[in-house]
Amino acid sequence: MAVTVRIPTPLRTLTGGEESVQADGGTVRQVIEDMEAKHPGIRDRLLDDKGVRRFVNLYVGEEDIRFLDGLDTALSAGQEISIVPAIAGG
Amino acid sequence: MNTSSSPTDLSTKSALVIGVGGLGCPALVALARAGVGRLVLVDDDRVELSNLHRQVLFRDEDLGRDKLDAARDALLRDGYTGAVELEKTRFVPDTALTLAARADILLEGADNFPTKFLACDAARLSAKPVVHGAAVRFTATAWCVAPEGRPCYRCLFEDLPAGDAVPNCAEAGVMAPVAGLAGALMADLALRHLSGAPRSALWAYDGKTDALREVVVGGRQQCPLCGDQPSISDIQEARYLGGLCAA
Repeated sequence: MAVTVRIPTPLRTLTGGEESVQADGGTVRQVIEDMEAKHPGIRDRLLDDKGVRRFVNLYVGEEDIRFLDGLDTALSAGQEISIVPAIAGG
Repeated sequence: MNTSSSPTDLSTKSALVIGVGGLGCPALVALARAGVGRLVLVDDDRVELSNLHRQVLFRDEDLGRDKLDAARDALLRDGYTGAVELEKTRFVPDTALTLAARADILLEGADNFPTKFLACDAARLSAKPVVHGAAVRFTATAWCVAPEGRPCYRCLFEDLPAGDAVPNCAEAGVMAPVAGLAGALMADLALRHLSGAPRSALWAYDGKTDALREVVVGGRQQCPLCGDQPSISDIQEARYLGGLCAA
C-alpha cells in the first residue's frame, strides 16, 4: 500500500529535492526499504545497526513510532510518515 | 515601550537567553516588548558582518563590538525599561546551573548540540522550563520543555550525535526569515509558559513550503534525565564533549 513520506530539507538531496515521496509497504520498515530502492542512501540516514538513528524521529501521523511498534508499526493506505531530524543552528 | 496592554503582567518575570544570534535576537525583541521584567543574556561573541542579515538587534556600526553590549543598547534604544544583565561567557558546564538559577525560563538557540543538551540538563536539574530553538537552511524548530520534562530534549534526541551522523554546519546556511520565525516562535512559547498557559508540542517549520507543523512529542520512560530511573543528576563536563553544529 502507498503512503506519503515527508522529507526534511537535509535529506532532500537524496530525493531529488522532493519534499514528499510516495512509498509502498505495510510497515515503517518496509516503507524505508522501498524508499532505499528508489532513493539509494536514505536508509543509512535514517537507520543504524540499532534501529532508528537517535538523532532522527519518525512519526506516523502525529505519533512517534517509538511509542507505537517501532519499525514494525503497521501502516494504512494514505497515512503520512514524517521525518524529524535534530538540527542546531541559528 | 507600552506594556500596559499585555494580557499578563510579565514585569516580575525573567528570561535567560543563551546565545544572542539569529534566534536570540528576535526572541529578545519579543520578550522585551511583551514586558518581561528582566533579561539575562549569555554570549561571548562579537558582531560580525555575516551576522547582520538575521541578527536583528545589530547594525553596521556595531561591527566588532561585543554582541551583548550591542544587544543591550538596541533593547534600550527600542524603549525597553526592564533590567538587562550581561554574561559575556559561553554557556558551559562550570556555570550552567548558576546561570539557570537566575531566571524563570531558559531560551536556547545554540548552534551546537553540546550546548543544547547542557541547557536541557541544567534546566531539568534546576526545575526550570526551557525553550529549545534551531534554524538551519529552510528548516526551523521550536519547543518548550516543562520543568518536569516528560518529554525533554533527551526524550527526543537521546544524546550527542556521532561525528558523522549529521552534516557539518559549515555546509549549511541560515535563511534570515526562517531564523526570525524560529526566534518569534521561541518567544511565543516562553511567553505562554510565563503566562501560565504552556504549550508542549514541537513546532517544525519548512521555509520552502511555508508549512508549520505541530509535532506531539512523547516522554520516554528510559530517558536518562526525566525517565523513571534517571541517571543524570549533575552536570559533568565529559557529557558535553563533541557534537559539532549540524543540520
